[in-house]
Amino acid sequence: MTILEDIISRVEELNPIHAKKIRKNISGQNQEFLNKAENFLKDYMQFLTKHGKDLDYAIDCYLKLIDDMLYETIRFMTSKEYSNSSFQDVNTRIYDNPEVMEYHMQGLLLSQFLWIQHYKILEFFLENAPKHQDKTGNYLEVGAGHGIFLNSAIDLFSKVDSFTALDISKSSIEIAKNFVDSSKVRFVHSDILKFEEQDTFDFITMGEVLEHVENPIGLLEKLKSLLNDNGITFITTPTNAPAIDHIYLFRNAEEIREVIRKSGFQIISEIQVPSEDMTAEEAHEKGISVMYGAFLKK
Amino acid sequence: MDKAEILKKLNDIFINTLDNADIVLKMETTAADIEEWDSLRHIMLVVEIEKTMKTKFTSKEITKFKNVGDIVNSIEAKK
Ligand SMILES: C[S@@+](CC[C@H](N)C(=O)[O-])C[C@H]1O[C@@H](n2cnc3c(N)ncnc32)[C@H](O)[C@@H]1O
Repeated sequence: MTILEDIISRVEELNPIHAKKIRKNISGQNQEFLNKAENFLKDYMQFLTKHGKDLDYAIDCYLKLIDDMLYETIRFMTSKEYSNSSFQDVNTRIYDNPEVMEYHMQGLLLSQFLWIQHYKILEFFLENAPKHQDKTGNYLEVGAGHGIFLNSAIDLFSKVDSFTALDISKSSIEIAKNFVDSSKVRFVHSDILKFEEQDTFDFITMGEVLEHVENPIGLLEKLKSLLNDNGITFITTPTNAPAIDHIYLFRNAEEIREVIRKSGFQIISEIQVPSEDMTAEEAHEKGISVMYGAFLKK
Repeated sequence: MDKAEILKKLNDIFINTLDNADIVLKMETTAADIEEWDSLRHIMLVVEIEKTMKTKFTSKEITKFKNVGDIVNSIEAKK
């Protein structure tokens, strides 16, 4: 039995409704996807074993994340708003709370190959980031979380000898330190809005952070100030994605583009990946989440 | 409202939300018994049940819904 099949059958026992969704997600995927998933999960299992954890622990974390999302989604369907409005509140309850942050991040790690939007957005990054590797001498990742993007960037950007990975949560940094080859990485524990640096960066990645702040334009302006004039930024952010730590609600892709334009960035290329089996337009109409990703320049 | 009445109301909501007139709910019915009962429709079901029954479930209740009986019992306990 593959690790992926093992995971799904354990989820089936604990949360059959969610298992249906994972099965549907995976049924449309080709052999290449399955091979990549299996390689990722093999590494992930090693990472778990190294830290005295096992697959049952990981699945428990993942299903807690799913339970949180289910509750937030049900509230969102009625209120049409995210339940959080204060960054300070989310910081205290979530980022600064190892008990919650640990299962939340472990759950997101496992979601990489169970949710098609996470898989496709990483593929988009892997396909397009190499176009910029020649010009990239230093690299910053904001809100690096578990470190999945960072791991790929270390492979892709061969000219960079020091990667900077910043996160507001100590728990995220601890997980990333163990998940990536950390010899080349400088970890910074800080709120991005308070991060000061003499140098500017050639490439900045910021996956799923824009929806975690009260003022996304202010956050992108901060990234602009950290980016050199010819530099490239890669960002991702979801629409209509209620979660315990999401604050700023983008209702459709156009609202994201507007924030990008207002902060003075230009879009080089973009992608939209719906979280259910439907087109992005249909998803926007129904209030169902779409993952948005884009490469930006000044 | 007793359990049987709640079950009957839920049956109507399931028929409408899942668009399947053949559904006959029992206390033991799970998502494995009804093909259309997937995660997206599950959310729509809970939202619809809250609206119709004029009730609001806690996160603890919602995450414990493993079969129709769990939903019936939750509603009954609130009345
Ligand atoms: C949803 S995770 C994203 C993980 C990963 N980047 C990805 O795309 O999958 C968001 C991460 O951003 C961090 N974060 C949220 N607000 C932040 C802020 N103001 N400054 C720095 N990091 C922040 C959180 O601690 C968390 O690790």
